[in-house]
Amino acid sequence: MDIKFINAFISGLLNVTGMLGLSDLKRSGLSKKERLEIDKDVNILLGMTGGMNGNIVLSMPEQTARNIASTMMGGMEIAVLDMMPKSALCELANMVAGNSVAGLDADSVSMSPPTLISGQNIVALVSLVETLVIDFTAAAGSVTMSIALEG
Amino acid sequence: MELSAQLAPFVKATIKNLKDMLGFEVNTGGMELEPDEFTSQGYTVLVGFTGGWKGRLILDMPGETAIKMASAMTGEPYSSAGDEEVLLSGAELGNIIGGNAITEINNSQPGLQIRLTPPSVFTGMGMTMFNARVNSSSLVVNTDVGPVKVNVAVEGAQ
Repeated sequence: MDIKFINAFISGLLNVTGMLGLSDLKRSGLSKKERLEIDKDVNILLGMTGGMNGNIVLSMPEQTARNIASTMMGGMEIAVLDMMPKSALCELANMVAGNSVAGLDADSVSMSPPTLISGQNIVALVSLVETLVIDFTAAAGSVTMSIALEG
Repeated sequence: MELSAQLAPFVKATIKNLKDMLGFEVNTGGMELEPDEFTSQGYTVLVGFTGGWKGRLILDMPGETAIKMASAMTGEPYSSAGDEEVLLSGAELGNIIGGNAITEINNSQPGLQIRLTPPSVFTGMGMTMFNARVNSSSLVVNTDVGPVKVNVAVEGAQ
């Protein structure tokens, strides 16, 4: 995968989370996997077609999801991850993907609406292509962004 | 309830492939509108689409059904829905059914130019799928190996 993608996605996420009040989020890891697999309880998945074809997934533990949604919603306490915080997290994924893609010279990328998948003991297989995995950490918890672009 | 224009081509493609490719007997229930959140039976294949319709297709089934479905596709026995081959079979099924459906949609309504995003497959306990501000409807297709729920959500659709 091209280095320009890596930087665009890292700054895409940091730009958006900075705007939303999660300014202490820092990149804590960068790795490559042979496929996109998930083992966290809250995942927001968004597909892309056009100039880039693939999937982006933001994954996090449920506690982190509640913390991030709480920050996005002005510090409101979130006891249960219900519709409101889930909408906020979907919007976060939309903004991160949009911001990242805007930072690339990719032609006419279209994105499918984000889907938030939550549950316990999730095992998932998203893509069979080489996947870029970027870890971020903040006081709110850790977030993993996985980017799998097909050929 | 009559099938919505968005759901119908996906249901048709599901029935056709389960019958022709896997040789299953199938019968269908009625269309149901889903609440904001879709609750999984344990195993979900998700395929997004973009273009004139933005949304996603879900093929959802119990883990046991997914195992039997994968065995029917490959001829091998499996013990867990999280087995790699079972996940791969689901992704392939999503690709085939999604591909058939959007080909039909694009042929009959050329302006829409719908494209699929790569499929993803999830298994887990108490899984839910949430889409913000998108309504979705489902139809259950009963097969020899159990129920397969076809669920389609399209942004802006009624």
